[in-house]
Amino acid sequence: MEYDIIEKVSDLAASDLPLDSKLAEAAGILLEYFPFDQCLLYLEEEGALKLRAEANGKAFAVKVYAMGEGLPWHACETGAPVEAFKAPEAASWEGIEDNGLFGAGHALAVPLKGSGRVYGVIYFKSAERKPLSLPKRRMCRIAALQVVSLLRCAQLSSDHRRVYDELLQMQQKLVDSEKLLALGDMAATLAHEIRNPLLSIGAYAARLRRQLPPDSPGLKYLEQMSADIGRIERIMNGIIRFLKDNAVELKTEDLDSIADESLAIFSDEFLAHNIRVERLGAGQKLPVLADREQMKIAFDNLIANAIQSMENGGTLFVSTAFLGGFAVARLSDTGGGIDPRYLGYIFNPFFTTKKHGTGLGLPIASSIVMRHKGQLEAGNEGPGAVFTIKIPYAGARETASITPAS
Amino acid sequence: MKKRILVVDDEEGLRLLYKEELEDEGWEVELAASGEESLEKLERDSIDLVLLDIKMPGMDGVEVLRRVKEKWKELPVILCTAYPHYKHDFGTWASDAYITKSSDLTELKQTVKDILGKRP
Ligand SMILES: Nc1ncnc2c1ncn2[C@@H]1O[C@H](COP(=O)(O)OP(=O)(O)O)[C@@H](O)[C@H]1O
Ligand SMILES: [Mg+2]
Repeated sequence: MEYDIIEKVSDLAASDLPLDSKLAEAAGILLEYFPFDQCLLYLEEEGALKLRAEANGKAFAVKVYAMGEGLPWHACETGAPVEAFKAPEAASWEGIEDNGLFGAGHALAVPLKGSGRVYGVIYFKSAERKPLSLPKRRMCRIAALQVVSLLRCAQLSSDHRRVYDELLQMQQKLVDSEKLLALGDMAATLAHEIRNPLLSIGAYAARLRRQLPPDSPGLKYLEQMSADIGRIERIMNGIIRFLKDNAVELKTEDLDSIADESLAIFSDEFLAHNIRVERLGAGQKLPVLADREQMKIAFDNLIANAIQSMENGGTLFVSTAFLGGFAVARLSDTGGGIDPRYLGYIFNPFFTTKKHGTGLGLPIASSIVMRHKGQLEAGNEGPGAVFTIKIPYAGARETASITPAS
Repeated sequence: MKKRILVVDDEEGLRLLYKEELEDEGWEVELAASGEESLEKLERDSIDLVLLDIKMPGMDGVEVLRRVKEKWKELPVILCTAYPHYKHDFGTWASDAYITKSSDLTELKQTVKDILGKRP
């Protein structure tokens, strides 16, 4: 019978209830067992003790004790139970001010202590003085330990849930990328099969064009055919870049300079479209394991899209930085952004909103980034779209910054 | 004497196309439908340049290239590939040039001209 309480609280710890319900029940169990009128549970949060659960809440209870205030803090600081006997009408005891003591003739504050830290306090009060046997006092400490283990259980399971959610998310991303690669392989095979006959049609059309007299009406049909064949060929070339055996050659490269080189290729286009480029460098080398040519293709596709969204002028911001264990490149434009309805589709092969788009720029860019164990993210910000490339940093100083603070 | 090109491709339509286009440019053209056939022709005829498709059933272009370079070190070979990135493959390093297959034959004709000299 005496040990009932231990069993009850451990059952509670193992249950599926949310933390606040567990605490409320724990307070109830404690009050049943110990001869007080009221049982309050305070937890330490951001330097204050906050009331999280109460049994017999009809009696007055202080909601928050700021740091150092009242009997509960006193117990936390001493690290041992503090018991007060006093006149009920006083709001202090032995020089300790505590509005919570008003109306109480007997109070007991038991710190919730475990593995070197104090989680909070169990605060018992009653109007009259209650006799507490020695075993009850001992039991009181054990009960406090039980509540601590309940708290730690809850914390672990919430950590566990967070990690689990992150895993799920990562798994989804993996499934997506696998799908994309599988789709790419299929498209590559198809592209291969189409390519030769297409080449033959296109080149014969060109031959025919040369053989027709210059005033022949058929000439413009052939020109149209050639133009369209050229377009299909460009799409096929895009698809072929998906090829699995087109393996990346990873060497230590500087992401900062890759971004610069890609930007340089477009300098004429920036001028022609009245686009200002603002470049914020990392101020250091950004070593990553990368296939330089491939990585440039990824940047090229993002820059081309930005230019296409700002045909009548705008600003392209390109920043590179070392952030949280990653070399990060961020490209944002002022071209009006991506229609939020389409955000979920823009990485799908062949998705395009452009009259002459191929819809392959972003899937190619993202498959390249993925082969570098990185991430490509898209979003809108202010007056335009923003794309972020994150590649694991391959520099010497990463160990300290990559390890997550425990 | 006109210089002679051996075109190796498993697709008949493309063989005929290359033949006509290269003959228009003033070259003589021989055809082979497979890697094996191309090696036989090389033994028999005198050839100045080989235009070689990479992807063929049976003996593929990379293998043909290897054997050609073993036997006729000086004979120039142009590899035709569907992959824009084939140059990373070690097997293709021995070729004198490689071109990406396209319906626009300008690059092909120019490369042939560069290798065989401006005049046939
Ligand atoms: N910088 C950008 N601003 C606005 N929309 C963009 C931007 N980049 C990509 N998009 C959207 O994503 C689509 C897919 O892009 P992409 O895969 O490069 O194919 P394409 O450029 O051929 O359309 C575009 O058609 C466009 O709707
Ligand atoms: Mg694009």
